[in-house]
Amino acid sequence: MKFNLKQITFVTTKETEFINITDNVKEFVKISGLENGFVLVMSKHTTTAIIVNEGLPDLESDIAKQLEHLAPNDMPYYRHSRFLHSDGQMAINSSSHIRGALLGFEVIFPINNGQMIVGNRQTIYFVELDGPQERTYVIQAMGE
Amino acid sequence: MIDFHTHPFMIKELTEMDNNLARNIKKVFGFYFPPQPLKVFLLELETSGIDRAVILPIDCTTSYGCTLVSNIQIAELTEKYQCFIGFASIDPKTKNAPQKLEKDIKELGLKGLKLDPSLQQFDINDKNLTFPVYQVCQELDIPVMIHCGLSWAPRGLEKYAFPLGIEEVAQAFPKLKIIIPHFGWPWYQESIMLAMKFKNIYLDTSIIFSGTPKEVLQHVLCDLIGMNVLERNLHFQILFGSNYPRADIRRSVRGINSLQMSTSLREHIFSLNAEKLLKLEK
Repeated sequence: MKFNLKQITFVTTKETEFINITDNVKEFVKISGLENGFVLVMSKHTTTAIIVNEGLPDLESDIAKQLEHLAPNDMPYYRHSRFLHSDGQMAINSSSHIRGALLGFEVIFPINNGQMIVGNRQTIYFVELDGPQERTYVIQAMGE
Repeated sequence: MIDFHTHPFMIKELTEMDNNLARNIKKVFGFYFPPQPLKVFLLELETSGIDRAVILPIDCTTSYGCTLVSNIQIAELTEKYQCFIGFASIDPKTKNAPQKLEKDIKELGLKGLKLDPSLQQFDINDKNLTFPVYQVCQELDIPVMIHCGLSWAPRGLEKYAFPLGIEEVAQAFPKLKIIIPHFGWPWYQESIMLAMKFKNIYLDTSIIFSGTPKEVLQHVLCDLIGMNVLERNLHFQILFGSNYPRADIRRSVRGINSLQMSTSLREHIFSLNAEKLLKLEK
Protein backbone atom coordinates (compact mmCIF):
# COMPACT_ATOMS: atom_id res chain seq x y z
CA MET A 1 0.00 0.00 0.00
CA LYS A 2 1.33 3.42 -0.97
CA PHE A 3 0.42 6.78 0.52
CA ASN A 4 0.98 10.07 -1.28
CA LEU A 5 0.09 13.33 0.36
CA LYS A 6 0.01 16.95 -0.75
CA GLN A 7 -0.96 20.09 1.15
CA ILE A 8 -2.22 23.08 -0.85
CA THR A 9 -2.18 26.53 0.77
CA PHE A 10 -3.83 29.59 -0.71
CA VAL A 11 -5.66 32.79 0.24
CA THR A 12 -9.42 33.00 -0.08
CA THR A 13 -10.85 36.34 -1.18
CA LYS A 14 -14.41 36.49 0.13
CA GLU A 15 -16.34 35.81 3.31
CA THR A 16 -18.17 32.91 1.64
CA GLU A 17 -16.57 31.42 -1.42
CA PHE A 18 -16.85 28.22 -3.45
CA ILE A 19 -13.52 27.20 -4.96
CA ASN A 20 -13.52 24.41 -7.52
CA ILE A 21 -10.60 22.10 -6.69
CA THR A 22 -11.65 19.13 -8.86
CA ASP A 23 -8.78 19.45 -11.33
CA ASN A 24 -6.22 19.67 -8.52
CA VAL A 25 -7.48 16.40 -7.06
CA LYS A 26 -7.63 14.62 -10.43
CA GLU A 27 -4.13 15.79 -11.30
CA PHE A 28 -2.78 14.57 -7.97
CA VAL A 29 -4.32 11.14 -8.51
CA LYS A 30 -2.77 11.03 -11.95
CA ILE A 31 0.75 11.87 -10.81
CA SER A 32 0.50 9.58 -7.79
CA GLY A 33 0.59 6.65 -10.21
CA LEU A 34 -1.80 4.51 -8.18
CA GLU A 35 -3.90 1.96 -10.05
CA ASN A 36 -6.42 1.17 -7.31
CA GLY A 37 -7.26 2.77 -3.99
CA PHE A 38 -8.82 5.94 -2.60
CA VAL A 39 -8.20 9.62 -2.61
CA LEU A 40 -9.12 11.71 0.42
CA VAL A 41 -9.57 15.49 0.34
CA MET A 42 -9.64 17.21 3.72
CA SER A 43 -9.71 20.78 4.96
CA LYS A 44 -7.44 21.67 7.88
CA HIS A 45 -9.85 24.28 9.23
CA THR A 46 -13.08 24.42 11.22
CA THR A 47 -14.74 27.31 9.39
CA THR A 48 -14.41 25.85 5.90
CA ALA A 49 -15.82 22.79 4.20
CA ILE A 50 -15.08 20.29 1.46
CA ILE A 51 -18.18 19.32 -0.48
CA VAL A 52 -19.29 17.75 -3.73
CA ASN A 53 -22.01 19.30 -5.82
CA GLU A 54 -22.88 20.23 -9.36
CA GLY A 55 -20.53 22.97 -10.48
CA LEU A 56 -23.05 25.71 -11.13
CA PRO A 57 -22.91 29.32 -9.82
CA ASP A 58 -26.65 29.35 -9.09
CA LEU A 59 -26.31 26.30 -6.85
CA GLU A 60 -23.32 27.89 -5.11
CA SER A 61 -25.48 30.94 -4.42
CA ASP A 62 -28.42 28.82 -3.22
CA ILE A 63 -26.26 26.75 -0.88
CA ALA A 64 -24.69 29.94 0.55
CA LYS A 65 -28.12 31.50 1.13
CA GLN A 66 -29.50 28.34 2.71
CA LEU A 67 -26.50 28.18 5.03
CA GLU A 68 -27.21 31.76 6.14
CA HIS A 69 -30.78 30.72 6.81
CA LEU A 70 -29.77 27.62 8.79
CA ALA A 71 -26.98 29.32 10.74
CA PRO A 72 -27.65 33.09 10.91
CA ASN A 73 -24.83 35.48 11.76
CA ASP A 74 -26.01 36.72 15.13
CA MET A 75 -28.15 34.66 17.44
CA PRO A 76 -28.58 35.51 21.11
CA TYR A 77 -28.29 31.87 22.13
CA TYR A 78 -24.81 31.43 20.58
CA ARG A 79 -22.33 30.83 23.38
CA HIS A 80 -19.32 31.00 21.08
CA SER A 81 -19.53 34.79 21.11
CA ARG A 82 -16.86 35.93 23.53
CA PHE A 83 -13.19 36.63 23.93
CA LEU A 84 -11.12 33.52 23.21
CA HIS A 85 -8.06 33.67 25.44
CA SER A 86 -6.24 30.92 23.55
CA ASP A 87 -6.28 33.08 20.39
CA GLY A 88 -6.30 36.61 21.82
CA GLN A 89 -9.26 37.38 19.58
CA MET A 90 -12.99 37.73 19.83
CA ALA A 91 -14.62 34.42 18.93
CA ILE A 92 -17.60 35.80 17.08
CA ASN A 93 -17.85 33.34 14.21
CA SER A 94 -20.17 30.70 15.57
CA SER A 95 -22.25 30.83 12.39
CA SER A 96 -19.15 29.97 10.32
CA HIS A 97 -18.39 26.98 12.55
CA ILE A 98 -21.98 25.72 12.33
CA ARG A 99 -22.03 26.08 8.54
CA GLY A 100 -18.77 24.11 8.36
CA ALA A 101 -20.19 21.40 10.58
CA LEU A 102 -23.30 21.16 8.40
CA LEU A 103 -21.29 20.75 5.20
CA GLY A 104 -18.47 18.52 6.43
CA PHE A 105 -14.72 18.69 6.14
CA GLU A 106 -13.69 15.87 3.84
CA VAL A 107 -14.67 13.80 0.82
CA ILE A 108 -13.32 10.52 -0.51
CA PHE A 109 -13.31 9.04 -4.03
CA PRO A 110 -12.30 5.61 -5.32
CA ILE A 111 -9.36 5.17 -7.68
CA ASN A 112 -9.84 2.44 -10.27
CA ASN A 113 -7.48 1.55 -13.12
CA GLY A 114 -5.50 4.71 -12.47
CA GLN A 115 -8.56 6.96 -12.71
CA MET A 116 -10.48 8.78 -10.02
CA ILE A 117 -14.10 7.65 -10.19
CA VAL A 118 -16.26 10.75 -10.15
CA GLY A 119 -19.68 11.51 -11.59
CA ASN A 120 -19.96 13.73 -14.65
CA ARG A 121 -21.71 16.45 -12.66
CA GLN A 122 -19.67 16.11 -9.52
CA THR A 123 -17.49 19.06 -8.67
CA ILE A 124 -15.27 19.13 -5.59
CA TYR A 125 -15.38 22.44 -3.75
CA PHE A 126 -13.27 23.96 -1.05
CA VAL A 127 -15.82 26.19 0.68
CA GLU A 128 -14.66 29.27 2.59
CA LEU A 129 -17.09 30.20 5.35
CA ASP A 130 -15.15 32.88 7.26
CA GLY A 131 -12.83 34.53 4.76
CA PRO A 132 -10.69 36.09 3.59
CA GLN A 133 -8.03 33.90 5.16
CA GLU A 134 -5.03 31.78 4.33
CA ARG A 135 -6.26 28.20 4.06
CA THR A 136 -4.81 24.74 3.55
CA TYR A 137 -6.37 21.53 2.32
CA VAL A 138 -4.85 18.09 2.10
CA ILE A 139 -5.09 15.53 -0.70
CA GLN A 140 -3.99 12.02 0.12
CA ALA A 141 -4.02 9.14 -2.35
CA MET A 142 -3.83 5.65 -0.86
CA GLY A 143 -3.58 2.36 -2.74
CA GLU A 144 -1.40 0.23 -4.98
CA MET B 1 -15.10 54.34 4.81
CA ILE B 2 -12.25 54.45 7.30
CA ASP B 3 -11.36 51.99 10.05
CA PHE B 4 -9.62 54.11 12.67
CA HIS B 5 -8.35 51.22 14.79
CA THR B 6 -6.29 48.37 13.37
CA HIS B 7 -3.01 46.76 14.45
CA PRO B 8 -0.67 45.36 11.76
CA PHE B 9 0.75 42.83 14.21
CA MET B 10 -0.09 39.46 12.70
CA ILE B 11 1.32 40.02 9.24
CA LYS B 12 3.37 37.06 8.13
CA GLU B 13 5.75 39.14 6.04
CA LEU B 14 6.72 41.13 9.17
CA THR B 15 6.85 38.32 11.72
CA GLU B 16 8.83 35.99 9.44
CA MET B 17 11.54 38.63 9.12
CA ASP B 18 11.78 39.20 12.85
CA ASN B 19 11.47 36.37 15.37
CA ASN B 20 11.56 38.85 18.25
CA LEU B 21 8.51 40.66 16.87
CA ALA B 22 6.54 37.42 16.69
CA ARG B 23 7.59 36.48 20.22
CA ASN B 24 6.80 39.90 21.68
CA ILE B 25 3.41 40.16 20.00
CA LYS B 26 2.53 36.85 21.63
CA LYS B 27 4.04 37.63 25.04
CA VAL B 28 3.08 41.29 25.41
CA PHE B 29 0.00 41.78 23.23
CA GLY B 30 -1.44 38.29 23.54
CA PHE B 31 -2.07 37.22 19.95
CA TYR B 32 -1.66 33.45 19.73
CA PHE B 33 -3.23 32.62 16.36
CA PRO B 34 -1.06 32.11 13.25
CA PRO B 35 0.07 35.26 11.39
CA GLN B 36 -1.63 35.76 8.03
CA PRO B 37 -0.21 37.10 4.74
CA LEU B 38 -0.56 40.86 4.28
CA LYS B 39 -2.91 40.07 1.39
CA VAL B 40 -5.47 38.81 3.92
CA PHE B 41 -5.50 42.20 5.71
CA LEU B 42 -5.97 43.97 2.37
CA LEU B 43 -8.79 41.61 1.36
CA GLU B 44 -10.43 41.98 4.77
CA LEU B 45 -10.59 45.73 4.16
CA GLU B 46 -11.93 45.23 0.64
CA THR B 47 -14.63 42.75 1.58
CA SER B 48 -15.71 45.01 4.45
CA GLY B 49 -16.07 48.05 2.18
CA ILE B 50 -13.30 49.89 4.03
CA ASP B 51 -11.22 52.19 1.84
CA ARG B 52 -8.56 53.14 4.37
CA ALA B 53 -7.35 51.90 7.75
CA VAL B 54 -5.32 53.58 10.46
CA ILE B 55 -2.54 51.20 11.46
CA LEU B 56 -1.31 51.49 15.05
CA PRO B 57 2.02 50.38 16.53
CA ILE B 58 2.89 50.35 20.25
CA ASP B 59 6.34 51.25 21.56
CA CYS B 60 6.92 49.32 24.80
CA THR B 61 10.64 50.01 25.06
CA THR B 62 10.91 50.67 28.78
CA SER B 63 8.05 48.47 30.00
CA TYR B 64 8.84 45.34 27.98
CA GLY B 65 11.96 46.09 25.93
CA CYS B 66 10.23 45.91 22.57
CA THR B 67 8.27 47.77 19.93
CA LEU B 68 5.17 46.08 18.57
CA VAL B 69 5.94 47.08 14.97
CA SER B 70 8.30 50.03 14.57
CA ASN B 71 7.44 53.45 13.16
CA ILE B 72 9.69 52.61 10.20
CA GLN B 73 7.73 49.42 9.49
CA ILE B 74 4.51 51.43 9.69
CA ALA B 75 5.94 53.96 7.24
CA GLU B 76 7.01 51.20 4.85
CA LEU B 77 3.48 49.81 4.83
CA THR B 78 1.90 53.23 4.24
CA GLU B 79 4.33 54.01 1.43
CA LYS B 80 3.53 50.75 -0.32
CA TYR B 81 -0.22 50.64 0.29
CA GLN B 82 -2.32 53.78 -0.01
CA CYS B 83 -5.11 52.20 1.99
CA PHE B 84 -3.02 52.46 5.14
CA ILE B 85 -2.76 55.58 7.28
CA GLY B 86 0.18 55.25 9.64
CA PHE B 87 0.31 56.43 13.23
CA ALA B 88 3.56 56.63 15.18
CA SER B 89 4.14 55.32 18.65
CA ILE B 90 6.79 56.57 21.03
CA ASP B 91 7.53 55.60 24.59
CA PRO B 92 7.09 58.73 26.74
CA LYS B 93 9.47 57.26 29.31
CA THR B 94 12.42 57.17 26.89
CA LYS B 95 14.91 60.03 26.67
CA ASN B 96 14.08 62.57 23.97
CA ALA B 97 10.66 61.04 23.29
CA PRO B 98 9.16 64.39 22.12
CA GLN B 99 12.05 64.97 19.73
CA LYS B 100 11.79 61.42 18.36
CA LEU B 101 8.08 61.89 17.82
CA GLU B 102 8.60 65.14 15.93
CA LYS B 103 11.30 63.55 13.79
CA ASP B 104 9.23 60.45 12.96
CA ILE B 105 6.14 62.46 12.14
CA LYS B 106 8.04 64.81 9.85
CA GLU B 107 10.39 62.33 8.22
CA LEU B 108 8.16 59.25 7.98
CA GLY B 109 4.94 61.00 7.04
CA LEU B 110 2.95 59.51 9.90
CA LYS B 111 -0.39 61.12 10.67
CA GLY B 112 -0.91 60.71 14.41
CA LEU B 113 0.34 59.23 17.66
CA LYS B 114 -0.77 56.05 19.39
CA LEU B 115 -0.19 55.74 23.14
CA ASP B 116 -1.16 52.77 25.27
CA PRO B 117 -0.75 53.77 28.92
CA SER B 118 -1.75 50.27 30.08
CA LEU B 119 1.07 48.57 28.15
CA GLN B 120 3.55 51.45 28.24
CA GLN B 121 2.73 51.97 31.91
CA PHE B 122 2.55 55.68 32.53
CA ASP B 123 -0.03 58.05 33.94
CA ILE B 124 -1.95 59.84 31.19
CA ASN B 125 -1.73 63.16 33.04
CA ASP B 126 1.90 62.90 34.23
CA LYS B 127 2.97 66.47 33.50
CA ASN B 128 6.71 65.76 33.36
CA LEU B 129 6.45 62.65 31.24
CA THR B 130 3.54 63.08 28.89
CA PHE B 131 2.87 66.79 28.56
CA PRO B 132 5.97 67.45 26.39
CA VAL B 133 4.69 64.71 24.06
CA TYR B 134 1.20 66.22 23.91
CA GLN B 135 2.83 69.61 23.27
CA VAL B 136 4.48 68.21 20.12
CA CYS B 137 1.17 66.71 18.96
CA GLN B 138 -0.59 70.04 19.42
CA GLU B 139 2.16 71.96 17.63
CA LEU B 140 2.20 69.53 14.71
CA ASP B 141 -1.62 69.40 14.76
CA ILE B 142 -1.73 65.60 14.82
CA PRO B 143 -4.29 63.56 16.78
CA VAL B 144 -3.26 61.31 19.64
CA MET B 145 -5.07 58.07 20.41
CA ILE B 146 -4.75 57.20 24.08
CA HIS B 147 -5.88 53.69 24.95
CA CYS B 148 -8.51 53.70 27.69
CA GLY B 149 -10.61 50.90 29.11
CA LEU B 150 -10.20 47.15 28.95
CA SER B 151 -6.86 46.03 27.57
CA TRP B 152 -6.97 42.44 26.36
CA ALA B 153 -3.16 42.46 26.25
CA PRO B 154 -2.05 40.12 29.04
CA ARG B 155 0.68 42.54 30.14
CA GLY B 156 -1.61 45.60 30.11
CA LEU B 157 -2.35 47.24 33.45
CA GLU B 158 -5.86 48.65 33.71
CA LYS B 159 -4.92 51.10 36.45
CA TYR B 160 -3.26 53.23 33.77
CA ALA B 161 -6.24 53.01 31.39
CA PHE B 162 -8.84 55.01 33.32
CA PRO B 163 -9.96 57.89 31.07
CA LEU B 164 -10.47 60.70 33.58
CA GLY B 165 -6.80 61.73 33.43
CA ILE B 166 -7.54 62.97 29.93
CA GLU B 167 -9.49 65.89 31.36
CA GLU B 168 -6.33 67.65 32.56
CA VAL B 169 -4.71 66.98 29.19
CA ALA B 170 -7.65 68.49 27.32
CA GLN B 171 -7.58 71.55 29.60
CA ALA B 172 -3.83 72.03 29.21
CA PHE B 173 -3.87 71.50 25.43
CA PRO B 174 -7.14 72.94 24.15
CA LYS B 175 -6.26 72.42 20.49
CA LEU B 176 -5.03 68.85 20.91
CA LYS B 177 -7.26 66.24 19.25
CA ILE B 178 -7.58 63.17 21.45
CA ILE B 179 -9.15 59.83 20.57
CA ILE B 180 -10.44 57.55 23.32
CA PRO B 181 -10.75 54.12 21.70
CA HIS B 182 -13.27 51.44 22.66
CA PHE B 183 -15.57 54.17 24.09
CA GLY B 184 -13.32 53.58 27.10
CA TRP B 185 -15.37 50.52 28.03
CA PRO B 186 -16.10 49.71 30.86
CA TRP B 187 -15.65 53.42 31.65
CA TYR B 188 -17.92 54.50 28.81
CA GLN B 189 -19.74 57.00 31.06
CA GLU B 190 -16.52 58.85 31.90
CA SER B 191 -15.49 58.68 28.24
CA ILE B 192 -18.71 60.13 26.83
CA MET B 193 -18.71 62.74 29.57
CA LEU B 194 -15.27 63.90 28.45
CA ALA B 195 -16.27 63.86 24.78
CA MET B 196 -19.43 65.85 25.54
CA LYS B 197 -17.42 68.39 27.51
CA PHE B 198 -14.51 68.74 25.06
CA LYS B 199 -15.28 68.96 21.35
CA ASN B 200 -11.75 67.85 20.47
CA ILE B 201 -12.16 64.47 22.18
CA TYR B 202 -13.23 61.63 19.89
CA LEU B 203 -14.47 58.11 20.64
CA ASP B 204 -13.92 55.03 18.50
CA THR B 205 -16.42 52.19 18.26
CA SER B 206 -14.04 49.26 18.78
CA ILE B 207 -15.86 48.06 21.88
CA ILE B 208 -15.13 44.40 22.42
CA PHE B 209 -15.83 42.42 25.53
CA SER B 210 -18.66 39.95 24.87
CA GLY B 211 -20.82 39.05 21.93
CA THR B 212 -20.64 39.95 18.27
CA PRO B 213 -20.08 43.61 17.29
CA LYS B 214 -23.79 43.84 16.45
CA GLU B 215 -24.71 42.71 19.96
CA VAL B 216 -22.15 44.70 21.88
CA LEU B 217 -22.69 47.93 19.93
CA GLN B 218 -26.45 47.63 20.41
CA HIS B 219 -25.93 47.05 24.13
CA VAL B 220 -23.47 49.89 24.81
CA LEU B 221 -24.41 52.56 22.27
CA CYS B 222 -28.18 52.06 22.22
CA ASP B 223 -29.25 50.40 25.46
CA LEU B 224 -26.76 51.93 27.91
CA ILE B 225 -25.90 55.32 26.37
CA GLY B 226 -28.85 55.91 24.05
CA MET B 227 -28.64 56.73 20.36
CA ASN B 228 -30.24 60.14 20.97
CA VAL B 229 -27.23 61.11 23.08
CA LEU B 230 -24.91 60.25 20.21
CA GLU B 231 -27.12 61.89 17.58
CA ARG B 232 -27.45 65.13 19.55
CA ASN B 233 -24.14 65.50 21.31
CA LEU B 234 -21.45 63.39 19.66
CA HIS B 235 -22.44 63.45 15.99
CA PHE B 236 -19.04 64.82 14.95
CA GLN B 237 -16.85 62.94 17.44
CA ILE B 238 -17.44 59.25 16.82
CA LEU B 239 -15.10 57.21 14.64
CA PHE B 240 -15.56 53.71 13.28
CA GLY B 241 -12.94 51.29 14.64
CA SER B 242 -12.72 47.51 14.60
CA ASN B 243 -9.58 46.77 16.65
CA TYR B 244 -8.64 44.26 13.92
CA PRO B 245 -7.44 41.59 14.35
CA ARG B 246 -8.90 41.31 17.84
CA ALA B 247 -12.24 41.46 16.00
CA ASP B 248 -12.78 41.14 12.28
CA ILE B 249 -13.61 44.22 10.27
CA ARG B 250 -16.50 42.65 8.34
CA ARG B 251 -18.55 41.92 11.42
CA SER B 252 -17.65 45.29 12.96
CA VAL B 253 -19.00 47.13 9.89
CA ARG B 254 -22.16 45.02 10.02
CA GLY B 255 -22.47 45.88 13.70
CA ILE B 256 -22.62 49.62 13.00
CA ASN B 257 -24.91 49.06 10.02
CA SER B 258 -27.34 47.10 12.20
CA LEU B 259 -27.94 50.06 14.53
CA GLN B 260 -30.89 52.40 14.10
CA MET B 261 -29.37 55.83 13.48
CA SER B 262 -29.67 58.71 11.04
CA THR B 263 -27.95 58.47 7.68
CA SER B 264 -25.95 61.53 8.63
CA LEU B 265 -24.59 59.99 11.83
CA ARG B 266 -23.69 56.77 10.03
CA GLU B 267 -21.78 58.73 7.37
CA HIS B 268 -19.99 60.73 10.03
CA ILE B 269 -19.02 57.59 11.96
CA PHE B 270 -17.80 55.68 8.91
CA SER B 271 -16.11 58.50 6.99
CA LEU B 272 -16.67 62.18 7.58
CA ASN B 273 -15.34 62.52 11.14
CA ALA B 274 -12.17 60.59 10.33
CA GLU B 275 -11.60 62.48 7.08
CA LYS B 276 -11.83 65.79 8.91
CA LEU B 277 -9.67 64.65 11.81
CA LEU B 278 -6.97 63.34 9.49
CA LYS B 279 -7.36 66.22 7.02
CA LEU B 280 -7.84 63.81 4.17
CA GLU B 281 -8.72 64.97 0.70
CA LYS B 282 -12.03 63.58 -0.51
